[in-house]
Amino acid sequence: MRRALLAITGLAATTTALVVFKGSPGTTQVAQNLPSAQPVNPSGPAADPSVAPDAPGGDPADGPPTPSATADAPASPKPGRTTARPSGTKTTAKTPTAPKTTKAPQQPTTRRITGPTVDTAADYGYVQVQIVVSGNKIVDAVTLSLPSGGESDIHSGDVSSAYNGSGGEVVKKQSANLNTVSGATATSNAYKTSLRAAIEQAF
Amino acid sequence: MTHSHTHAAGRRTGTSSRHGGRSAAPVPPQIPERRGPGGRRLLAALLVIGLLASVLPWWLGTPAGSLRSSAATLTAAGRITGLIAGYLLLVQVLMMSRLPVLERWIGGEQIGRWHRDIGATLLVAVLAHLSLIVVGYADLRNHSVLAEVGTLLGDYEDMLSAFVAAGIMIVIGFSSIRAIRRALPYELWHLLHRSSYLVLLLGYGHQFTHGAQLYKPGPVRTGWIALYLLVVAAVLWGRVITPLAFNLRYRLRVADVVAESPDTISIYLTGERLGRLAMLGGQYFRWRFLTPGSWWQSHPFSVSAAANGRWLRLTVKVVGRHTADLRDLEPGTRVFAQGPSGTFTAAHRLRERALLIAGGSGITPIRAMLEELPPGAALIYRARTPADVLLSRELDWLAQERDASIWYVIGSRDDPGPRQLMSPDGLRQLVPDVARRDVYLCGPSGLVELSVRALRGAGVPRRQIHLATFEL
Repeated sequence: MRRALLAITGLAATTTALVVFKGSPGTTQVAQNLPSAQPVNPSGPAADPSVAPDAPGGDPADGPPTPSATADAPASPKPGRTTARPSGTKTTAKTPTAPKTTKAPQQPTTRRITGPTVDTAADYGYVQVQIVVSGNKIVDAVTLSLPSGGESDIHSGDVSSAYNGSGGEVVKKQSANLNTVSGATATSNAYKTSLRAAIEQAF
Repeated sequence: MTHSHTHAAGRRTGTSSRHGGRSAAPVPPQIPERRGPGGRRLLAALLVIGLLASVLPWWLGTPAGSLRSSAATLTAAGRITGLIAGYLLLVQVLMMSRLPVLERWIGGEQIGRWHRDIGATLLVAVLAHLSLIVVGYADLRNHSVLAEVGTLLGDYEDMLSAFVAAGIMIVIGFSSIRAIRRALPYELWHLLHRSSYLVLLLGYGHQFTHGAQLYKPGPVRTGWIALYLLVVAAVLWGRVITPLAFNLRYRLRVADVVAESPDTISIYLTGERLGRLAMLGGQYFRWRFLTPGSWWQSHPFSVSAAANGRWLRLTVKVVGRHTADLRDLEPGTRVFAQGPSGTFTAAHRLRERALLIAGGSGITPIRAMLEELPPGAALIYRARTPADVLLSRELDWLAQERDASIWYVIGSRDDPGPRQLMSPDGLRQLVPDVARRDVYLCGPSGLVELSVRALRGAGVPRRQIHLATFEL
């Protein structure tokens, strides 16, 4: 019995220690994860916001996990368990963006701000958002990482098609007060957390 | 098949032991080779490495500094405890697989103790996993805890069965708390414990559909599945294949039931090829007597004589319904045995000399071991009345043959004689070199606790004290 108590204490101590170790950012991690603003030269791919939906391809850190920014929204969400989706946002999103994108090139400075990596906690992966700011307006949002694999592909696809892109909700609302994508609450929340940090950094 | 080779057939309860203490072995039993603790340490180390490896995927997959919110922290702790619980559950089932290598290197008694301690830890880990995840997710989604449970049960695949598995586990855990367990009939408790296989089955799905470290195909997922397959294979091998092979080979049958005292019987068994049966004095089998009334229960009893190539004997005190039924076993009854198990043997000695302390019917494994210990062993036999002394003729004969000394200490534990003896000074007076001996203890728990305290007081290192408790 004494050994059992010892083992239980060990379990509690180890779990706490592990969480504390991972929770406190060391010096090296700060550099990686804190919101970082990188000025973008006008000739870069992000200079013209109209190509922004494809921009994640330009980021070498970004591998396969973005079935997202490609705005072929109606095709990607598989009709899985999560069929009740506000698909309206995706289709309507396209048209009203046009005036905004035309404004963008007139702005003298375009910046890219990357939000922190945020654990979705419930849905199996990490979300990192990058916004493109022109003047004091967000003109584009992309995700550098999203949960992938299994059901997560569906959730991630839904979230990115709702929020990302020059016509997405981020650009429309110009804030992190986004409508939560139903069925993908955790991913939405993580997205908002990363986005909020990026916005704070930007303005 | 006829039973002409069974001797003393037809003897019934009430007759006295015919063997009267003569060893039946054609040659005196050999003193077994010493088995070091190396195997046990290796297995323990492997289990610890496995535990570390099961948390490693979480460590590697979590970016440092990513646990910013309380929800993320709670969920991370929930994942860690979940991984640990998943691993410990597999270890628990593996421990109970009766795999020969585990029985040989760790031993049934030690496995029982590990199983108890790991079981308590597992229960806590499961409760922690469950509550941390539910609270963490609820925090994340700004739900109440109850609403979150509803969401998990309704929207998440395999989660219903996972909750059922956790429920079963909690029932098993609490029913194993000593006080509660004593209040339950053994058969009910055992049945409850058997349902832990259901936990293995029902808890399987959610680990792979929702486990952050396991849902993705890859080495971690493959390894985890392999672990499951390994444990299932171990259970099949240890619980089905090995016993079947053993019983097909040795074909044990009841040869005779004789009375040793008014409330103690010896059951003699014969079989085939018993000369090749590798068994050590002090080990036990789980016996299943194939009669209409009791084929479905199996009970552990020590063998009360060393292997002799001709018969096996178990000596049993009649204490309950099952043991009472054993008095009426017919010669020729088939017996299904699982074993041999246990490290309460001469092979597990650390020193050259031994002190044996037996209480009442606890003499049975010690009587068998006495045949295999090096000369110079000492035996203290505690019994409440002279009538409670069992197998005394055999013991006297063995003492002479094996150059051992025996003290019969008769009386209640509060009598001055036994009280004086069962103290550090008393033991040192009786056996001056007690601290340099292995001590083997078997008897009622009161006697065992008292003796361990006295022995520790007399300077006997803990690892030299061997206990024959196989309470499971």
